[in-house]
Amino acid sequence: MSYYDLDVILTDSEKVPCKFELEVPDLGYLDNNPSQPLKAGTSVNLPLWLAELLALTHQSSTPFLTLSLPPALGDNVLNALKADPRAVPLRDQSQNFYGLGARMLDLFEEPELGVVLRRSFVVRAGEVALHGRKAGATGDAGSAEDFMRGLEEWEKKLYRQAHEGAKGHKEWMDGVKK
Amino acid sequence: MYGDLGNKLVQYAKRTQSLGFLPPYQTETVRGVTREVRDLDKDIAQRLEPFGGSFNPQADQATACTLLVNHLSIRRNKRCLLAYHKSRTDKLEELAWKGFDVVDLAGQQVASGNAGSNLGSADGGSSSLSPQEEDYIRQYSDLLAAYKGQWTDIDLTGSLEPPRDLFIDVRALKDAGEIQTEYGAITLTKNSQFYVRQGDVERLIAQGYLQKLG
Repeated sequence: MSYYDLDVILTDSEKVPCKFELEVPDLGYLDNNPSQPLKAGTSVNLPLWLAELLALTHQSSTPFLTLSLPPALGDNVLNALKADPRAVPLRDQSQNFYGLGARMLDLFEEPELGVVLRRSFVVRAGEVALHGRKAGATGDAGSAEDFMRGLEEWEKKLYRQAHEGAKGHKEWMDGVKK
Repeated sequence: MYGDLGNKLVQYAKRTQSLGFLPPYQTETVRGVTREVRDLDKDIAQRLEPFGGSFNPQADQATACTLLVNHLSIRRNKRCLLAYHKSRTDKLEELAWKGFDVVDLAGQQVASGNAGSNLGSADGGSSSLSPQEEDYIRQYSDLLAAYKGQWTDIDLTGSLEPPRDLFIDVRALKDAGEIQTEYGAITLTKNSQFYVRQGDVERLIAQGYLQKLG
């Protein structure tokens, strides 16, 4: 996690639903309506880098806007993950699904969300590692391919490492035999 | 919306992370982002002007909010710009350590730049490095050379693989002129083959002048 980390920056650009708590005359463009003032109570989707600090900055007692959880971490997805983590194509929810989850858990008190995410990651990681190790070895396409397409960034990184680990191990073993 | 251009840069950097070469510098997009920052800054200055340096955020929340949004957009753009350039300089340093020549690099980039121009808007410049990047890599290579110069008997950027044979067969892929070896001079003309000591030609192989046979 560094200032220059491209994945973190891209996670920061994930949109989250927000509700403005006060009227701002010059921010209409955030709601695609530059000529109109942004009314209090307007719901807009803002990237995390903008929304987070606007939600945390307190002038007097009310913040500028209130955040809510993005649909990618909504009840539907969570229920599906609870049922079978392997069956959910996380990439369709968000490219940086876990990154987004981690950021939201910093902002929200949602112990259950954390538990579900952690369990999903562990269950899926096993599957990812399995595919990473035998990639290219056997031609079992079909369901594996569907699963692979649903991987988000963390999982893709994991997959690459599993794959390279297996490859490196094999090369080393070959070298030893000589 | 503000910040979209910056995002584009970062996505571009992310896509090119795994490439073996450096795609052309996104001059237009970078210029667009810096222009956005200047506009935002101007906007902030304009908004603050009537307050004469005594702005009270409590009293005028709407303005405070607008200012904060502008400020955050500037900060975001800065981060995107820095990350984009860092990803490129990292790549350049990596190439320098792998023993690519700077001049070589610029020439090579043209070829690969044309091939990969569908990746982004190639500006049609002669090099895929910005002038600043060329300067950077030149100075970095100088530093690296000075650092390596401290150990005359070890080549820090040499291959980590122990050689299997002292002598190898090589074929010249381009004309490289005459080179001096311990066993006299050899003239590398295109498509000629030689049986030479590996240590003598390692650099030339890395630079793509020679191809190892067998």
